[in-house]
Amino acid sequence: MKIKTPIVTLLVGVALAVVLLIASMSAVSAKKAALAAASASAAATVPAVTTSTAASTAAASGAQSASATGSASAAASASASGSFVIPPHANYDGEVQGNLGAVALVVHDTFAVAYFCNGSTIEAWFSGTPDNGKLNLTGKGAASAGATLTANYALGHARGTVVIKGVSYVFSIIAVHKPSGLFQSIANVRGATIKAGWIVLADGTEVGSLNPDENAANAVSQAAPKLDLSTLTANDDGTTITATPIDGETGSGF
Amino acid sequence: MAAQWEEPAPTRQERIQPDKSGRVLVIPALVGCIVALTLGIYGRLHSPTGVAVDVIGFSSPGTVKAWLATVAVLFAIVQVASSLVMYGKVSWITAPPWIGTLHRWSGRIAFIFTVPVAVHCLYALGFETFNLRVIVHSICGCLFFGVFTVKMLALTRKGLPNWVLPVVGGLAFGLLVVIWFTSAFWFFSTFGVSK
Repeated sequence: MKIKTPIVTLLVGVALAVVLLIASMSAVSAKKAALAAASASAAATVPAVTTSTAASTAAASGAQSASATGSASAAASASASGSFVIPPHANYDGEVQGNLGAVALVVHDTFAVAYFCNGSTIEAWFSGTPDNGKLNLTGKGAASAGATLTANYALGHARGTVVIKGVSYVFSIIAVHKPSGLFQSIANVRGATIKAGWIVLADGTEVGSLNPDENAANAVSQAAPKLDLSTLTANDDGTTITATPIDGETGSGF
Repeated sequence: MAAQWEEPAPTRQERIQPDKSGRVLVIPALVGCIVALTLGIYGRLHSPTGVAVDVIGFSSPGTVKAWLATVAVLFAIVQVASSLVMYGKVSWITAPPWIGTLHRWSGRIAFIFTVPVAVHCLYALGFETFNLRVIVHSICGCLFFGVFTVKMLALTRKGLPNWVLPVVGGLAFGLLVVIWFTSAFWFFSTFGVSK
């Protein structure tokens, strides 16, 4: 019996889907393997980066491959902690519990930057050093003094707590890729440093706050003007301010 | 010896009386339901990876998908236009002899362009419900492939009621446009048109 052409069309579609699915699966496992291998070799050649005993098994198994390849790039110093794969470069963002604001975490090698804002008066910038999937960040600058952020992160997911002026915000957020992520703008206008931050969530929602004078302890933040993601500019009362993506995957903004 | 009388082989020109009850649609419709449900259940149960195959030359998976979906919609518009001509609904155009070929190939191309997008959606993102756009997109995405399956299987049946192909084809086109508006159009208007 001759197979009819509409059936052929369907079968070709199914075959293409299966091929792409298998390719996707191997892409994901290759990514995980690469991160695990990088972590193992980094742990073997750069012991100062990873001191946790949780990574020692991975370090031992990776020691041979590290000495065989000779050069373990410090730029790709990922860590494997138990069954979790800790990416060296990652962006996470999402809303905190209770829809009280949004938080963004950006990790790039030995630097971590984070930002919390509620799209209005409450915001804080954080910085610090990642430690094997753990973040203990402190507020950066006069306006964020005293704020803290603690979090755990792994491939695809991060969770933790932000404390600002005695109020804690709990979050459980996902890994995001550009054009979602964290954006920052710093502009000097008439002697004041205007600093704005925007968090673009995975669904495209923007949450942003703007501090009209970053170095003044009593400055009150306000809602940031809408950030145009195609030009990375925003209009702050007639002044055009330009934003920079802070992207752990590309290293932009570090 | 006298030539034996043979029954003539059935040809495509032969008119088959349409079955008004639409009974021939039962199996295509059931298969379509299974397809739509399978996609939806897989998308819901499988934990999204956030990662799939990258396509060289594009800045992110989102832009690749937005462009592929846009190409699919353009070919789908060719589908609707060519079927209108085929059914003689455009009085000032006489259907050229190649109109059937145009209709079939534009459909095949449009379908093939939707497959990578759907695989990425289901594998990397999943069936989600966190806002209205995403709910509508997830449901229509599953329904589209169900309806498309019904259309393809219905084409192989003889004696279809006359309304079946226009209705099923129109439904597939409508769903594709809704899917495009809730994804590619949203993507371009949120993040800007980029490669």
